[in-house]
Amino acid sequence: MTMKVHKVSSQSQHEQRHATKRHGKNKWRKKTHSLDSTLLNTSTGTAKLEKPIPKREKTTLKRLKKLYTKPIPENCCAEQRKVKAHVHTNGGTELNGSSSLVDSQEWSEYANSVLRNGMESSTSPKTDQMEEDGLQFHAQFDKTRNNAVLVMKQGQVLCFRGKCLLTCLYGHVEVLGFTIEEGQQPYPLFSPPSHCPLTITALGNNPPSSKNKKEGLLEAKAVVHKYFSSEPSKKLMSELDSDSCVVLLEPLNTPLTRVLTSFSELSEIFGLNSKELKSQAAVYNPVLSAVGVTALRGPCAQGLVMSRSYREAISRLLSAWAGEFDRCPIILVCGGKSSGKSTFNRHLINSLLNHTAGVEYLECDLGQTEFTPPGCLSLSTVTEPLLGPPFTHLRDPEHMVYYGQADCQADIDRYLESLKSLWRHVNGESPVIINTMGWIRGHGFQILVDLIRLFSVTHVVQLSYGNAPQCQHLTPDFLRTAHGWQTHPLTPPTLTEEPVSHLSTRSHVLLSVQSEFEGAGTSGVMQHQRSNELRDLALLSYFSKLQSPEPGPVLPLHCFTPYQVPLSAVAIGVTHCEVAPTNILYVANASVVGLCCLSEKVVGREGPVVLSQTPICQCVGLGVLRGVDMARGLYFLVSPVSPSVLRHVNCLLLGEITLPKILLTKQDGIEGDLPYVTTDYSFEVQGAGKLHIYKGLTRPGFIKSNN
Amino acid sequence: MKKKTVGKTRHVVAWMNKAEYEHVQEYLFSKEPALQKHALQRISAWKARFGQSTPVAVDSTADLVRCQVLDSAGQLETNDLVMLYGMALVRFVNLITERQQKSVARPLRRLAGKINIPEWVVNLRHDLTHRRLPSLKWCRKGCGFVLDWLHQQYWSRQMGSQLTEDWNSSSEEEDEEEFAKRHEEELLRRQKEIEAHKKVRELLISYEREQFQTYEELAKQGGQRGVWPDASADLSWILTQITLFTTEARDILVDVLMQDGFLIPTAEQLESLDIDPSEDSVDMFAPCLPRVFLHFWLPCLKALNTPIFINLILDKLFAELSNEPSRHRTYYITSWISEILLCNSKSTNLRHLPGLCGELKAHKRLKLSKERIFMNRIQFPWQNLISTCVNAPCPATPFLLRQILSDMDKPLPHDAQQNLLRLCSIYTQGYHEYSSPGASDPAQPVYTLQNLQDRLKSNTSQNRDSHSSNHAPRPMQAPPTEDLQEKLSAETTQERNFALRGSAWSVCTDKVPWKQYPLGKVPGQPEDPSCLMVECYSTFTVFDQQVELDQLPQHHGNRSVPLQSRASGADGPLWTHSDLSKLKAGLQLF
Repeated sequence: MTMKVHKVSSQSQHEQRHATKRHGKNKWRKKTHSLDSTLLNTSTGTAKLEKPIPKREKTTLKRLKKLYTKPIPENCCAEQRKVKAHVHTNGGTELNGSSSLVDSQEWSEYANSVLRNGMESSTSPKTDQMEEDGLQFHAQFDKTRNNAVLVMKQGQVLCFRGKCLLTCLYGHVEVLGFTIEEGQQPYPLFSPPSHCPLTITALGNNPPSSKNKKEGLLEAKAVVHKYFSSEPSKKLMSELDSDSCVVLLEPLNTPLTRVLTSFSELSEIFGLNSKELKSQAAVYNPVLSAVGVTALRGPCAQGLVMSRSYREAISRLLSAWAGEFDRCPIILVCGGKSSGKSTFNRHLINSLLNHTAGVEYLECDLGQTEFTPPGCLSLSTVTEPLLGPPFTHLRDPEHMVYYGQADCQADIDRYLESLKSLWRHVNGESPVIINTMGWIRGHGFQILVDLIRLFSVTHVVQLSYGNAPQCQHLTPDFLRTAHGWQTHPLTPPTLTEEPVSHLSTRSHVLLSVQSEFEGAGTSGVMQHQRSNELRDLALLSYFSKLQSPEPGPVLPLHCFTPYQVPLSAVAIGVTHCEVAPTNILYVANASVVGLCCLSEKVVGREGPVVLSQTPICQCVGLGVLRGVDMARGLYFLVSPVSPSVLRHVNCLLLGEITLPKILLTKQDGIEGDLPYVTTDYSFEVQGAGKLHIYKGLTRPGFIKSNN
Repeated sequence: MKKKTVGKTRHVVAWMNKAEYEHVQEYLFSKEPALQKHALQRISAWKARFGQSTPVAVDSTADLVRCQVLDSAGQLETNDLVMLYGMALVRFVNLITERQQKSVARPLRRLAGKINIPEWVVNLRHDLTHRRLPSLKWCRKGCGFVLDWLHQQYWSRQMGSQLTEDWNSSSEEEDEEEFAKRHEEELLRRQKEIEAHKKVRELLISYEREQFQTYEELAKQGGQRGVWPDASADLSWILTQITLFTTEARDILVDVLMQDGFLIPTAEQLESLDIDPSEDSVDMFAPCLPRVFLHFWLPCLKALNTPIFINLILDKLFAELSNEPSRHRTYYITSWISEILLCNSKSTNLRHLPGLCGELKAHKRLKLSKERIFMNRIQFPWQNLISTCVNAPCPATPFLLRQILSDMDKPLPHDAQQNLLRLCSIYTQGYHEYSSPGASDPAQPVYTLQNLQDRLKSNTSQNRDSHSSNHAPRPMQAPPTEDLQEKLSAETTQERNFALRGSAWSVCTDKVPWKQYPLGKVPGQPEDPSCLMVECYSTFTVFDQQVELDQLPQHHGNRSVPLQSRASGADGPLWTHSDLSKLKAGLQLF
């Protein structure tokens, strides 16, 4: 297995060298050199690896330590300085500037072996005894402090549903690619049933060389003692050893969780999904459930299923950032719907955050946005790990454009122009991750070609599933001739040197990832997995920012004191269809609006200022236009956007992104009828339903549907 | 307007209310181009609101009416009109039959026939798509027919108008997704409940096992009368587990406790506790828990002791009692009720009922603090308690009723108490031991339970004031709506307004109780479906902002043409119609 890895990665190196022809020679020399020194330095480590060791975790850790304790090499190039400048707070796992020395093999080894931890413990067949052992979670609840201390053996994995705040007290643990170690801030973890469950993997202690086992044990014990108001139980203490990890789990209660659980429909949003309930996957552990965590067992406890190609891609990308590549990696992740793009992105971001302070993230997926409500295109700088699904970590992006629909088919040009306008703000000092739509056929594929060209992408991660690929592989060769929606291949290169080199610098590395998780490619059908439900959750999450941070009753949207602005002071427009201007307020009333800033001053005389077409402009957030005062000519707006930002807003864009129905149908405390809500609408009546598209309509024989 | 019933699902629609829907419907089918145009404009707004879930019928109607409007304007040539009509008709036939399609495509004609669309309309569609274009005359005829069809089948049936029962169409399920979602939610909830049920049972059984063990040890040490030891480590572990259920799955916990083998012991259990399980040995009229059995459960109940829980368990006990359980169950249920009431009794009150005193005192003396499930008095909903008590008649009802009456914070008038007790005794026919010293009021004879309850109500209503002023609101109740309004402090408002200074924005400082205004409504907003129409508006044009990546222009390059203002005078004469519909809307309210 080890040998294979070497072989594959050296092959891919080969490709890469071809791709970066200009630097090929130089690189090669550097590589041989570093390879040598690596071999010298890590001879013991490599030797160990060659031995057939049944327990791989140990090896992993050794190798990991090896990496950290490696002496800083003599040659220090620009890239290294860059790395140094961006070292994240993640003390234990930072690179210590030894990046150039670490050749890609080593890197993929490192990444692979770390990642393998989760894999093996979850997928390899195990005896019942082992299973039972693994599921013994030694935890104790402290009533006065309302938190739980969990002791995990090295290599132990906790795959769970629920939510909690995790602080690492001793040793270090890994969650979705991110390493958390003692002394770091608490991180919120969300594992709702809509997504693949999170796993906390104990990586043991680091660095151990400074202490012997006994010292470590004493230290761990001291840590545990410190976190109990009373005496910790003997049982818990007896589980401790110097390789253990000790984590503190606290219940998580934020405005978001309060808002979500205030709706009876969403009361199980941090519970188990029906599949897990059916297979009785919950491990009953009262201490964990007291902090809001339900451990899983059996086939449901697989956590993130990483295929071989997946792990390789992650490690290749990590090494690309580590300086193997001569320019800042610009990574485009693409693949069909439900092929695992979003999870891959989160994993990649988390892994990168172990080594860098920030990652830039360009959102090109309108439907399932990572940081914003749906319908927005955005550029974010990510500095915090993403330890939950998108709706649990909404944050204000650096730059955002409101597109107004959950897909871009209606106006591909505006979509691409919006992305270009965002791209101008990329600073190019951190790795960039470009997330794309699941639309990969026809024009969707052309858009991918455009994005790769427009943004000079260095790495394309193409996720696929099943036996047949969902679309053509986006190889550099293919790109040389492919037509995009806006861009076209360069005219056939002339015999002069110039264009050729130009082409080669623009070339990228293709990393194909085969998704092997269960249900890859099929959109979720369980509760909270459907894309429209996830969009609603994102919006609920966005508007939960209105709630006061102090615990208290959840206020319905209509109870907030609104902002007001004259109709004539802000432009208003509909992005997705034509509306008679005289009726524009019928669209606006009780709708979601994108709060945008036009550089032009908007001054109307009387009545609303209606946009004649949709502008591409900075959007600072969303609001709900809760009403219009026709007599005084005022819009009333409820929005979590801070007033200092709101002052710049002079344009309201209306889109197809609608308020979650629940926000309209559940308005507590209202007597009488709710506008736009009825119980009298009958779906029994002909034509009452929306346009219905049968995708898999089979034709009997070759007859056209009629006659 | 129809009052909202709880059972009906609330749907979100594009019209603000039924008045707006009817307003548009009326205009659409008015055959008056100006009004039709007005309706079309509103539908353009509806379509923006609905997005992709615009009802097919609304879409089709708008397309066809648009053809009629353009036709009547007389500015288009025949060929233009055929194309317009043609598109609208083809779309109608295709879209309306789409719902009827199953996984294998079926002929449109058959599908259309099912929903009363005649063959000639389908043929018209075929002509339009595959053959020679039909004449304008045919198009007009088709359009007229289809609009009639839509009017009848969709517009006048929708929104709770006369929905005829004979219409045997297949339902246009709102959304398979919605349905599946609801189904799954239900499934999930049930699964969860079963799971919790199982867990609670397991826990309680392990509790019982633990307690039996303690009991056996106790018995070994001699004398079951010995003092039960404090909870062992294992037991308190189990108890903390059980208490975890009191917040989330309280109902389930109580349900399980009510099952045979828990609070209602089985004969086997009684035997192992050395209690005679035969029914002869017990007094059905004055139930009393065997001490050993009480001790057996005491640690558990003490752990669960919260006012909510005690109230709940009392409710449940009475509910079980009203199901007319077996003698054995009845005895234990009433014993537990009596036990709980005893724990809550105030000794001072006994004076008022001298007849009761002697009997209960014997009980009371035994009530050492150690044997009490809870120490502090809990506020019971006394009136409810009395009615639930008499609603679940059993031999012990008079006994329980007396306990309740003696414990009430504001006791009923003496004679009312007497009457109640007497009636109760008559009804349960058994416990005549106690006869009232004062004769009951002969003027108001009470013969039935109904009378009794009426009497009870009239009696208790006198006490209502005092009880409503009593403390102990149930913590599980939803917070009162008064709290919901966001209260911005003066500083916050000032701060926000300061941040907004110089812009057109400000915090709304009107004294408006926003919690009374749902989204989409503001103070003073008329019910008129035309209230949001704008007569005046300006158009604002932002020039195309093509961003060339290489040039990176710093400004977005927005330039606007001068604002053009115009008053849409066309709507002027229409106001009378909207006034009409306003009237109509008003009429429907009654």
